[in-house]
Amino acid sequence: MIQIRDLTLRYGDKTVLDRLSLDLPDEGITALSGPSGCGKTTLLRVLAGLTPSESGAVSGVDPGRTAFLFQEDRLLPWRTVGQHIVDVLPKARRGEVPSWLAFAELEGEGGAYPAALSGGMARRLALARCAALGGDLLLLDEPFAGVDEERAGRMLERLRALDAPVILTSHQTAVLERCDAVFRLDGPPLRLV
Amino acid sequence: MWAERLKNCMRIAIPPVFWLGVWQLAAFFVGRELLLPGPLAVAKALCVLAGTGDFWLSALMTLVRVFLGLAWGTAAGAALAFLTHFSRWASALLSPAVKVVRATPVVSFILLVYLWVVRAAIPAVIAGLMVLPVIWGSVTAGLAAVDPQLLEMAGAYRFSRLRTLRLIYLPSLRGHFTSGLLTAFGLAWKSGVAAEVICPPVRAIGSRLQAARLALETPELFAWTLVIIALSLLLERLLRRLLERGERA
Repeated sequence: MIQIRDLTLRYGDKTVLDRLSLDLPDEGITALSGPSGCGKTTLLRVLAGLTPSESGAVSGVDPGRTAFLFQEDRLLPWRTVGQHIVDVLPKARRGEVPSWLAFAELEGEGGAYPAALSGGMARRLALARCAALGGDLLLLDEPFAGVDEERAGRMLERLRALDAPVILTSHQTAVLERCDAVFRLDGPPLRLV
Repeated sequence: MWAERLKNCMRIAIPPVFWLGVWQLAAFFVGRELLLPGPLAVAKALCVLAGTGDFWLSALMTLVRVFLGLAWGTAAGAALAFLTHFSRWASALLSPAVKVVRATPVVSFILLVYLWVVRAAIPAVIAGLMVLPVIWGSVTAGLAAVDPQLLEMAGAYRFSRLRTLRLIYLPSLRGHFTSGLLTAFGLAWKSGVAAEVICPPVRAIGSRLQAARLALETPELFAWTLVIIALSLLLERLLRRLLERGERA
């Protein structure tokens, strides 16, 4: 179980997390759902160790062993699709590139540059890169934004097959329906509905 | 089709013909080759020069000196830019010094360096000193413009420092570096030749320029100046092509 206790974080005058306490499952696929700007991304960033909280504690997560998918794709314009996967793989796992391209349904696009990809393709590549990096916990911020529902469903099942716990944020009903647990949130400050 | 080609040829040919005509007319009105030789006299002097081995050797040695200066100035400028970007102390200590180098007139540097360095090395030292602040400025601006989101991604995805340098910093810097290097090349070329004129080494375009001036060989002076301009334009074009090819690769 991932235990969040009394987490507090402010951006200037805006309190995003106000003594938030929450228990999240550490297996299966967990979704955090809520309106834009309610603080879901901030919570994921705190879990990944990318944004330090002002006070409170998180247990059950090692930030150094998480894989975080940013809300933006953050692809490198000068690297090809295949190179994006290679960049996060250790040398011994370089042979996995075709299977990660298949994971993202980007077979045949290995030599393409991000500028040649559609928004959905770029998102799938960003997700595949994050999943290829791997870790004890995958933290995915809007992983299927711009991806059609059918494909998102297929990719979600592939994520499940990776056998690593996943916490994701999403607004898409089709995605939420396939998750093992859904936390409905509101804010700011972030709170369970 | 043919009319279009003819138009293009005219567009290319008319400007030089026009300016050669202006030059010839001015030389005709001045009437003294010592003050202003005409294009034909200069072309003749150039042909005579090009027939000597000394001409080619002088040009080659000047090229070597300028490129040596460009190389060390570029390496030092880029290294200093990284140092001042990542270390506040280095920035506090070195940034004012680099700005002083940028603001110092090239002639002051030539005369100062003349006191400290053997004559043959002065042009390369001066060219490098002129290149250094330009490259430092462009690389510093490039480093400041690197996308912080990509750097955060590199940290989150556990990229090593070397990988972050190779995959994010260097490609992000390419545009700034390319424009800086092209500007720096022009400066290196002009300052290198100026140093050769003031502190003439044994074989150099600048030395020949100075010798022509002292011997009142004005057509030769013009011929060497033409050589300097032609080499500068040619090499800048070559460098631009090389850099463009590098960007495409």
